[in-house]
Amino acid sequence: MKWLEKDSFLFLLPAFLLTIVLVGYGVMMAISESLHKNGRLTFQYYIDVFKNNNFIASLSYSLWIALVSTFFSMLIGLLITRWLYYYLKSDFLKIIYWIPMLFPHFVWGYMMVLLFSQSGWFSSLAYRIGIIHHPDEFLVIIKDSHGIGIMITYIWKETPFVILMLLPVYHQLNHQLSSVVKTLGGKDWDVFKTVEWPWIMPVLFETSIIVFAFILSAYEVPYLLGTTYPKMISLLVYEWFFEGDWSNRPKAFAAMLSVTMFIFSIMMAYTSLLIKKRYQMMKGNGK
Amino acid sequence: MKRLFALLLPIFIFLSACSTKELSSASEAKLLEHKWKQIEQEAKNTKVRMFMWGGDEGINDYMDEWVAPKLKKQYGITFERIPMDTHEILQKLLNEKKAAEEKGTIDIIWINGENFKNAKENDLLFGPITEKLPNFQKYIDTRSLNTQYDFGTAVDGLEAPWGKVQFVFLYDASKISQPPRTFAELKDWIKEHPGKFTYPDPTDFTGNAFLRHLLYEAVGGSEKLLKQGYDPQFVKNEVEKMWAYLNEIKPYLWRKGETYPNSLTELDRMYSQGEVWMTMGYNEARAESLIKNGTFPTSTRSFVLESGSIGNTHFLAIPFNSPNKAGAMVTINFLLSPQAQLEKFRPTYWGEGMSLDPNKLPEKDQQTLKQINRGKSVLSSDVLKDHLLPEVDSRYVGWLKENWLHEVARKR
Repeated sequence: MKWLEKDSFLFLLPAFLLTIVLVGYGVMMAISESLHKNGRLTFQYYIDVFKNNNFIASLSYSLWIALVSTFFSMLIGLLITRWLYYYLKSDFLKIIYWIPMLFPHFVWGYMMVLLFSQSGWFSSLAYRIGIIHHPDEFLVIIKDSHGIGIMITYIWKETPFVILMLLPVYHQLNHQLSSVVKTLGGKDWDVFKTVEWPWIMPVLFETSIIVFAFILSAYEVPYLLGTTYPKMISLLVYEWFFEGDWSNRPKAFAAMLSVTMFIFSIMMAYTSLLIKKRYQMMKGNGK
Repeated sequence: MKRLFALLLPIFIFLSACSTKELSSASEAKLLEHKWKQIEQEAKNTKVRMFMWGGDEGINDYMDEWVAPKLKKQYGITFERIPMDTHEILQKLLNEKKAAEEKGTIDIIWINGENFKNAKENDLLFGPITEKLPNFQKYIDTRSLNTQYDFGTAVDGLEAPWGKVQFVFLYDASKISQPPRTFAELKDWIKEHPGKFTYPDPTDFTGNAFLRHLLYEAVGGSEKLLKQGYDPQFVKNEVEKMWAYLNEIKPYLWRKGETYPNSLTELDRMYSQGEVWMTMGYNEARAESLIKNGTFPTSTRSFVLESGSIGNTHFLAIPFNSPNKAGAMVTINFLLSPQAQLEKFRPTYWGEGMSLDPNKLPEKDQQTLKQINRGKSVLSSDVLKDHLLPEVDSRYVGWLKENWLHEVARKR
């Protein structure tokens, strides 16, 4: 492998070391703080965390939001990619999907507040043209208990990312295979199932893990758009961490590490299951 | 060779950042024995860096446009303000303490309440400093409970009072002709105007203060709580009335109490857009600058309830590893001078209460004080003084946060 050549590796070493040392040290400290109580090794904090109703509520709320947002980002991303690839030949127009990616999540979150809150832009518009008779009647999607505002923001932000990941795969597809399917009497669905799916599936799964992990532990958007109870997991942990007397800090570490472990185990499961398959596909014909 | 250098340089930088610089702590202990003149001399031509919460334009302007030039001129001190949230500053100091970093970057912090308690318990502060400060000795009522205790924690000279603020409710006089006078009247008002009132989540400083007013009312006065100290069991039995009150108003709150604003900023935004008709805050004069910059309607006025309004003092302290302790002391002393405090009191920048005792001021300054017009949205100092309530043990802040979640927010 080229990047492993002696010289270039040497140059990478400082950056590599710095990252490993700094991040690694932080993680080690977090692990050690979450496992020690008064200098003794204990799992007490982890037990406390999983017995805590607020944590359980936050965890399921976060999982729900992350799952739904990931699923719809993938679905919409896939549909748009296919549409872009098959029907839109102009490269210029393809740039449009970049627009949501240009702004940080926080900015979109705040846009949501300005546009969709009950005193927001759309509410005033609806009130002016007489669809609603009072600003309070406007649909509640900001700070709602189902997290709809959060999901919309993430779907809107992650869909372009999915497209970005999928579009190159479509360009690499062997399109003679599609013609084969068509000549043998296959419909569009058959083309998708037999030609496209095996190719895009690994990328799709990888992307969804990235998106899922990102949303599960996100902070800024739920801070802006989330409800008081339940809070998304990062908000709860932040609260524990910075709370008055610092006594909840080990619990905060334990909670965040549990989330990390969860994401890590998904990744491991994926690697062991799918990398093998992907390798076979690259080698042969997908079987 | 060049390559080796490129490789080693970052490692050296990293390692040198880790090593703690030896600093004789003996000379620092001596600083507190020096004469004030000597300390002023030492502070000359040095740099003082103050880390402070930076969320208020008026406060920032006061520091940058008024304090900094004056310090430069009068004491030759270069003043630098670094905005950072207080709990993050403490986190930084705690990390430095753990790493035995004797020379930090922070010279002054702005602190009170829970944060002070944390800092004191973890030995993050340098001192005692107040007995060295001439202006503290001269102008501050050193026997008052407000300067001796900070949310129930003994100050022990580790921090110097910088200002006093009092909690007020703000309302739009063009929409509300007669603001409520008691909690009972407030309840009636809320019921008559569904959706027009809410309070910030008690994890927020202001939201928590709103609940503390109710807590005082429920247990029958702040004296009882002060006498009792921190006693969750005692409060638990007495506080049913408070949860009942909050749950009774809940369906009439903004968004039917299903969710609450995360912060005062959010409540302010809703107030400025007319989504709610009242907001609140921990500074009796805070509406003035917000009216001036057009955020709040000009018809904004303030009120306090007859049961009283909580006031608290905020302080200045020096971190244990401040690189310029002499400069920090001179700066703090300047901030406690009548000159600086009167300017802070004016609505021009900040408009906040003085930490000095007005009776101890020189005649001339007392006259100036009387002439300052704080603005229409600020209650008269007599009204404020008559309604002043003390803070109780800071552990009640956490207690309220936690129990509010069970007793109010989670109940559907």
